[in-house]
Amino acid sequence: MSEATKPITAEEAYNNENDKVLRFLKPRFHEEAFPTIQILGYIGSLILTFGAYFLVMNHVLPPVALLSVILVLAVFQAALQLGVFMHIREGRGLAWQLIPLYFVFFVALGMVGMSIWIMLFKSGVS
Amino acid sequence: MPSFVTYLIHTLFPPTVRYPDILLIDAGLIVGAIGLVGFLTKTHRWGWLWREWLTTVDHKKIAVMYLISAIVMLFRGGIDAEMLRAQLAMPSVHFMPAIQYDEVFTTHGTIMIFFMAMPFIFALFNAVIPLMIGARDVAFPRVNAMSFWLFAFGAILFNISFIIGGSPDAGWTAYPPYTGLAFNPGPGENYYFLALIIAGMGTTMTGINFLVTTIRMRAPGMTLMKMPMFVWATMVTSALILFAFPPLTVALAMSLFDRLFGSSFFTLTRGGMPMMYVNLFWLFGHPEVYILVIPLFGVFSEVVATFSRKALFGYPLMVVSILAIMFLSYGTWVHHFFTMGAGPGVNAFFGLSTMLIAIPTGVKIFNWIFTMWGGRIKMTVAMLYQMAFIPTFVIGGASGVMLAVVPADYQLHNTYFLIAHFHNVIIGGTLFGLLSGMYYWWPKMFGMKLNERQGKVAFWLFFIGFWITFTPQYLLGLKGMTRRLYTYPAGLGWHELNVISTVGAWIMGAGFVVLVYNVVWSLLYGERDVTGDPWDGRTLEWSLPSPVPEYNFARIPVVHERDEWWAMKQKGQTMAHALRPEDVHDIELPKNTPVPFLLGASFFVVGFGMTFKWWPIAIVGMLGVIACLLYSGFDYDDHHHLEADVVRQTEASLGRLQG
Ligand code: HEM
Ligand SMILES: [Cu+2]
Repeated sequence: MSEATKPITAEEAYNNENDKVLRFLKPRFHEEAFPTIQILGYIGSLILTFGAYFLVMNHVLPPVALLSVILVLAVFQAALQLGVFMHIREGRGLAWQLIPLYFVFFVALGMVGMSIWIMLFKSGVS
Repeated sequence: MPSFVTYLIHTLFPPTVRYPDILLIDAGLIVGAIGLVGFLTKTHRWGWLWREWLTTVDHKKIAVMYLISAIVMLFRGGIDAEMLRAQLAMPSVHFMPAIQYDEVFTTHGTIMIFFMAMPFIFALFNAVIPLMIGARDVAFPRVNAMSFWLFAFGAILFNISFIIGGSPDAGWTAYPPYTGLAFNPGPGENYYFLALIIAGMGTTMTGINFLVTTIRMRAPGMTLMKMPMFVWATMVTSALILFAFPPLTVALAMSLFDRLFGSSFFTLTRGGMPMMYVNLFWLFGHPEVYILVIPLFGVFSEVVATFSRKALFGYPLMVVSILAIMFLSYGTWVHHFFTMGAGPGVNAFFGLSTMLIAIPTGVKIFNWIFTMWGGRIKMTVAMLYQMAFIPTFVIGGASGVMLAVVPADYQLHNTYFLIAHFHNVIIGGTLFGLLSGMYYWWPKMFGMKLNERQGKVAFWLFFIGFWITFTPQYLLGLKGMTRRLYTYPAGLGWHELNVISTVGAWIMGAGFVVLVYNVVWSLLYGERDVTGDPWDGRTLEWSLPSPVPEYNFARIPVVHERDEWWAMKQKGQTMAHALRPEDVHDIELPKNTPVPFLLGASFFVVGFGMTFKWWPIAIVGMLGVIACLLYSGFDYDDHHHLEADVVRQTEASLGRLQG
């Protein structure tokens, strides 16, 4: 624990070079006039969703091709959500942006991968 | 028209909601409602209720509303538990028919987990997190209010099921095919799925809100390693919520689709895969049990440090172990369905990963003990719960490790041994922690202490009652008594143990009565807290007056130490930090808004309409939801300024202004 006895001001604390965490904490805002990208992104995400729905409901593709196409659509969807709505490009301190993102990928892949592994037993018994 | 009326009566009041005991409750509820309306009208409190509570976005008031809901739900869940224990006390008792017994255990589990423990935890988050980190509110105050009202209306939707239409009866886990339309017609399970989806949205939003709050709203100087443990616990819990609730929502929505729109995700026919529901549910369910206990690890860390008058032992290790628990808890969910038969590879992997969790948990237990070691311990009620928690939780964890041994689990799964295990951890960890936190922070929330003597009586009743209830259940499980059993014949050797267990349940019931008496008595005559620091606390919330003014901090503090308030007291700086008038500036505060309440109400209408497949009603509700969101999205007039003079006056009246 540090022996700091003299209180520092908030501004000093934000500008403290050693403290990357605090620099990140300083709020920065920037506003757009009209959310064109978001509206296009919204339409795009709807197209991706309903695309997958119709592919499944209308049986236009054989199963393996169907699964692959849906998977690709899902990846596009995820990229779109991250890029457009979660402001992944507006860096505010790379570590804070990337570490949670790696964590997300790690957990998501783990959940999906392990679920497939667990549920494979079905092909064994049935 | 008469056919329409008979249709309505048949749908809304089928025979399962016309048992004599339920009709009695109906009458009681009607009388209570009339009384409440009469009281509010007579004392002209409607406007007050609307302005001060229903439209508030203040985290401190939201905390109070969460707390009230949680205690009411604890009451309902407790009544359910007493009914279950009454039926099981003797062999061949049938005071409830099988179907009603099923409804009661389903309601008990769902309410205790989703509508008692979760809101109680959020009550503590809301009450203290902004104060602990030196902030004026949470990151998104309006979203916070929306979370509360989504939870509240979800809870109402779930709770009316037993008087209108019929309760769900497939257990708190709602496995298919019990929940399939073919086996379970009627609105009960629709209520369950919709209520949980609505409340779950609120919970997810709370997770996001507190994740952002703890990351971004900390006072300058409070680096990650200077955060109090409760803040760490909140951050980790929020992250768990963020990842755990989506699988649940997906599983619930897919089950609902199976029931309402004829899909077959989890049906037995047409290629459905019921076990996939189980997989998704526990993908949520295991992280959920840690969502239920990690916040209380945080509470205990604060309580033990305060009442041992020592800094928390091994803080960095505590942080590491809490993070380890977070990671590991994502990789153990199969231990809830070892008996599915996924094969030795899968079961061995998840058995091992489950046992691994005991290691970081053990580290934390030792750190709490070492914090007490050599400390000057003050035996307050909060501390008593803390000390009761340690042995109780250790034994619950040990029985969990036994269940994680796969061959043993084949024997013990879904017996009373499992019931005893999770009550051991959930009551010993979660409930004791919640009560500990409630006694600890009550002065901060309400400005008076809860009476310690009455609190100790309640504590001993809970603690002794707990052990009398659940020790016999371990033995019953070993003797082969399965869970969710509505009655049993004599001659199996289960009788005596069940009698003891029921007596224990009565003792716990008595504990609840004393607890309520304690709260009401203290609200009326409790010792006022004039210092704001009744326990000689260590963290920033105790630097504020009790109850805390609307704006929390007249001036945002700058943090240098982990136990900042303790350090300030040691250095005699509490007065140096007293305000000079020129330090006070205008304060920006979020403005009250009716949108969250209306949004919750609209979702309630959607849920009610969909439960009975009355689509026009559901659509009207949905329009309400869209209207609320649109209005809220374009409402830029969402904050107001509190004049510096008003702040100065308030602080001066509290004796906290220099000159
Ligand atoms: C050392 C830590 C723990 C271990 C090794 C452990 C292990 C287990 C295992 C193996 C089961 C499944 C038993 C079966 O269904 O046959 C189980 C069930 C359960 N555990 Fe734990 N557990 C631990 C801690 C906790 C904690 C901290 C909580 C909650 C605060 C908890 C709550 C539950 C619940 C609610 C169930 C039963 C769910 C149900 O089927 O309804 N456990 N535990
Ligand atoms: Cu588990």
